[in-house]
Amino acid sequence: MMELEALQEVNSQVRALGARIVALTPELERYTRSVHRKLNLSFDILTDLHLETAERFRLVFVLPDYLRAVYKSFGSITLDRFHDESEYRLPMPARYVIDQEGIIRAADVNADYTIRPEPAETVRLLETLRR
Amino acid sequence: MSTLQARLDEFKKALESGALPHNVPNEAIKAMHRATAELKASGMEDAALKVGDRAPSFTLFNQDQVQVTSTDLLREGPLVVSFFRGHW
Repeated sequence: MMELEALQEVNSQVRALGARIVALTPELERYTRSVHRKLNLSFDILTDLHLETAERFRLVFVLPDYLRAVYKSFGSITLDRFHDESEYRLPMPARYVIDQEGIIRAADVNADYTIRPEPAETVRLLETLRR
Repeated sequence: MSTLQARLDEFKKALESGALPHNVPNEAIKAMHRATAELKASGMEDAALKVGDRAPSFTLFNQDQVQVTSTDLLREGPLVVSFFRGHW
């Protein structure tokens, strides 16, 4: 969520460079719609249903039982409902930059979801792609 | 304007303090740390697609239930793809 807000802050720069942002999550549209509105985003959130695309980027892991129990104890985090599946699978947080040939030019994947690359770095890379 | 990482660090600090508004018990924090450490140790990060790899194409529905295709977007320019777990 915080990353989406930070990406929104650079979206006009990204668009000015001829590029585009999309955010992918396993969540169903009823959730992406509310996030999109709440954060007033000007880029799309796409529902990666059953993590099919995340699988192809090899980002999917299964939440361990003991953490599932923790989230269940919070009451509000019901991934089976959010994702339309009972398996507690999630994508590792990742940001990719793909060039027009379809080749990955930047890949920031971190198992620790509290560590994320700066959107300004992504903008800098897009500037170099332009040259 | 603070950096994204500074904001994340601030949030993490507040969450792990166990104080309101998050009010997360210490055991839950420990479970989160354990899961992150195990995922790190699993080497999964290294298995993910990397710089130089060809990106898979995708066709998915956006928040307005409109179909979006990556190859269409790439025709117009480069694409930044951000994977996130969800709204929670």
